[in-house]
Amino acid sequence: MDPIVKIEDVTKEYPLGKVVVHALRGIDLSIGRGEFTTIAGPSGSGKTTLLNLIGCVDVPTRGEVKIAGQSTSALSDAELTHLRLRQLGFIFQSFNLVPVLDVFQNVEFPLLLQGDLSKKERAQRVREILERVGLSEQLTQRPNELSGGQRQRVAIARALVTRPAIVLADEPTANLDSVTGNTIIELMKELNANNQTTFIFSTHDPQVMRQATRVIRMVDGQIVHDGDGVEGVIEASDPGAASGEQE
Amino acid sequence: MKRLWIAWRVVVLIALRNLLSHRVKSLIVGSIMVFGTMLMVVGTSLLDSVEASMEKVVTSSLTGQLQIYSSQGRDELSLFGGLTASRPDIGEIEDFGELKRLVEPIENVKAIVPMGLSIATGTSGNDIDATLGELRAALEEGDARKIDALRERIIQQAGLIEDEYAYRKEISSDGERLERELEVLQRVQQQAFWDDFTQSSSERLLYLDTQLAPLLADGRLFFLRLLGTDPQLFKESFDRFEIDKGQMIPPNKRGVLISRRAHERFMKDKVARELDRIKRELELEGRDLATDEVLQGRARRLSRQYRRILYQLDPQETRVLGEKLRAELGSSEQDVAKLVEAFLLVDAQNFYERYAYFYAEVAPLIELYRVNVGDTVAIQSFTQRGYLKAMNVKIWGTFQFKGIEDSDLAGVVNITDMLTFRELYGKMTDTQRAELTALRDEVGAEAIARDDAEDALFGGSADLEDRGASAGESFDEFESVEVMERAQRKLRAGQLTYEQQEMDSGLALNAAVILEDPTQLARTKAQLERAIAARGLKLRVVDWQQAAGIVGQLIVVIRLVLYAAIFIIFLVALVIINNSMVMATMERVSEIGTMRAIGAQRSFVLVLFMLETLALGVIAGALGGLGGAVIIELCGHYGIPAFNEIVQFIFAGPYLYPHVTLKNVLLAAGVIFAVSIIATLYPAVIATRIQPVVAMRGKD
Repeated sequence: MDPIVKIEDVTKEYPLGKVVVHALRGIDLSIGRGEFTTIAGPSGSGKTTLLNLIGCVDVPTRGEVKIAGQSTSALSDAELTHLRLRQLGFIFQSFNLVPVLDVFQNVEFPLLLQGDLSKKERAQRVREILERVGLSEQLTQRPNELSGGQRQRVAIARALVTRPAIVLADEPTANLDSVTGNTIIELMKELNANNQTTFIFSTHDPQVMRQATRVIRMVDGQIVHDGDGVEGVIEASDPGAASGEQE
Repeated sequence: MKRLWIAWRVVVLIALRNLLSHRVKSLIVGSIMVFGTMLMVVGTSLLDSVEASMEKVVTSSLTGQLQIYSSQGRDELSLFGGLTASRPDIGEIEDFGELKRLVEPIENVKAIVPMGLSIATGTSGNDIDATLGELRAALEEGDARKIDALRERIIQQAGLIEDEYAYRKEISSDGERLERELEVLQRVQQQAFWDDFTQSSSERLLYLDTQLAPLLADGRLFFLRLLGTDPQLFKESFDRFEIDKGQMIPPNKRGVLISRRAHERFMKDKVARELDRIKRELELEGRDLATDEVLQGRARRLSRQYRRILYQLDPQETRVLGEKLRAELGSSEQDVAKLVEAFLLVDAQNFYERYAYFYAEVAPLIELYRVNVGDTVAIQSFTQRGYLKAMNVKIWGTFQFKGIEDSDLAGVVNITDMLTFRELYGKMTDTQRAELTALRDEVGAEAIARDDAEDALFGGSADLEDRGASAGESFDEFESVEVMERAQRKLRAGQLTYEQQEMDSGLALNAAVILEDPTQLARTKAQLERAIAARGLKLRVVDWQQAAGIVGQLIVVIRLVLYAAIFIIFLVALVIINNSMVMATMERVSEIGTMRAIGAQRSFVLVLFMLETLALGVIAGALGGLGGAVIIELCGHYGIPAFNEIVQFIFAGPYLYPHVTLKNVLLAAGVIFAVSIIATLYPAVIATRIQPVVAMRGKD
């Protein structure tokens, strides 16, 4: 089976003042459909840059990123946006819901952007996914009326409502307490198992990391570990991991 | 675009909810927009109404919809007065008849009226002149009783002047002259002067005319802006025109009609005029005699005018007035002068009572107007070439324009016939030209070129010299001139006639074109211009606004000021909206980034931002438009009073009844829309540049 994400010899450099930051140094990676992958590493290791490239919100300086078989390097802003809309779902650390829309409307939003479904179909899809994340009762509430966990559930529902090939989550549990964080990860895992949606998320939290079926560890813009278990990944030399420090 | 269309509902929803969630910002920006729109609706409606009412006044009183005049003159036509005090040089229409024949058949032309403006002065003489005039008439009629009464009046007048001159002597340095003048005054008051008056009346009258009358240097000079026209045609064409007092100038008769306003304001007795003026200021401007110092000052000065009344009374009338005033004032004062002075000292309590009493009891005793309907007065004017031309004209009546009686604009000219105008202008009539030719033939004058003058006078042929000598022998310049009596001359002025042919052909300065359908003005103007050009006439056609001169420009100036004010308000609104939208964009970077990450295109973000301000613009525009329309319609229902004469002039009447049109509202809405779009363009473009990657940063 073709990998859903294929990264070949990718380098990413940013100018930062007068110096050039080498965020990624020649990375090769491929992720198959239905994987539940975590990307770990200390601050500045390049894991967010890698997520940005996979999420098509950024393009590589050199090398090639292919999402569902399509190379991103040559795409225009509009084409990248289209790719994100069709193939990707996003879960953000700070939930990033549209504050003036209620739960239902937030989840419906990407469907409206796609513009494929009828009103009835959309409503059905939204109710279905909200039921799955356990928010059937909160359809008309605004984000500021919800708890952190509830908000992240809305965000998960929004990411999944378009049935994307890949869901990207950047530190999805960082702003939640550990109990809530765990239930969120469990929810993600359940959805991964049921839908064969690929999940790729970054985290500092060893508890969260343990849930992953594949762990990719990065240091200084390079992959230093790529395996299916958490063993040997959490080391004392990784100060960020223990404290749960944010990037 | 199709997707955007499906997403429109959510865009509108987000935009509206954003407006609601930033209430203070929306309220401030919205208020500015509402205010701007309201100001614009109110301002443009008012201006349009002022323009419409001014158009009504201007076109229905003087200009018609179009004016034709020469393109050769140095100045532009300004029928209601321009910036220059002198008579403008607007050129001439040499043959009005030709123009009339050209213009009349053109479609939509109802009438073409010849016109020409001339500024004449007239003088009515002082009170003594007037009395002497009456005395002459009485002498001619041999009415002994009247002669006696007038004699008494002259003696009384001399006495009043003597009082004044006695004061003057105390402060004057030219005592010698004053002595002489006092002698005259005393002589006139002596019985000896009047003893054999009827026998040597012409000698005595000459003395009174030349010695006494000049001592009361109070003859009144009045200015008449005289519009020469075809009075009958004018009356038909300007249907608001109506006779106020007296009668219309009869067909084919010559004469003058004075505007009611000029008659009331410039030719009325000064005391009556002052009383009228105070009354007008009390009523029109809402001033209060009890508190207004300017008005009180005017009342005090009014009381010092008591002599003006006394000069016009004979001793009998003076006694009668004295008794009446003693009763009215409840005074025991014996000096009538003091009584009149006290009577004229008006205050807040007694003004209306005194005003009514003055017109009921005092006015019949005096000459209320210096120029009365039916009079023949001498007027003079500088001709085009600069000579002074004087003539007698008959005042047939006074006129006004219906509905705009109180407008200063409508009272700006007086009307005379074209022939009188041409004479004052210095253009000879055919009759006069024939007369001149006859005169030349009679005295043997002939035209000799300048270069040949010497030869003709002193050269070989002594022909001219001889003829001059023979003519000189018996030459008396008054020999064949029939000197008419004063009364005859006056009578003649009222009987002068003309033929319609004379009126229609010949000189005019400008011509008013009255249209059947005024809305077709531009089209008819173009047609006229083509016809005139085709005939090769050097004439131009202007619309009423241009023809009115300074009045037309006034509207333009007010419009400019209003637009400048609106521009500034909208500029401020623009800056504030722009600023607050930039701030809002900065606050919503994460939200916009998220939308972009999820898959919203740049165009979506652009529309979202534009829609927010546009929604505000629509709401504010609707509220402001509605508010402005309500204000205007309320004003239109109750009328806006013109609180002083300048405003009355601008309103072209005592009240303005404005109305709002769809055009006013749409214009304001359009402007507020444009302002919204321009103000939001920059922040919206900033918003589209927000990268989706910002959403990935782990911050709120």
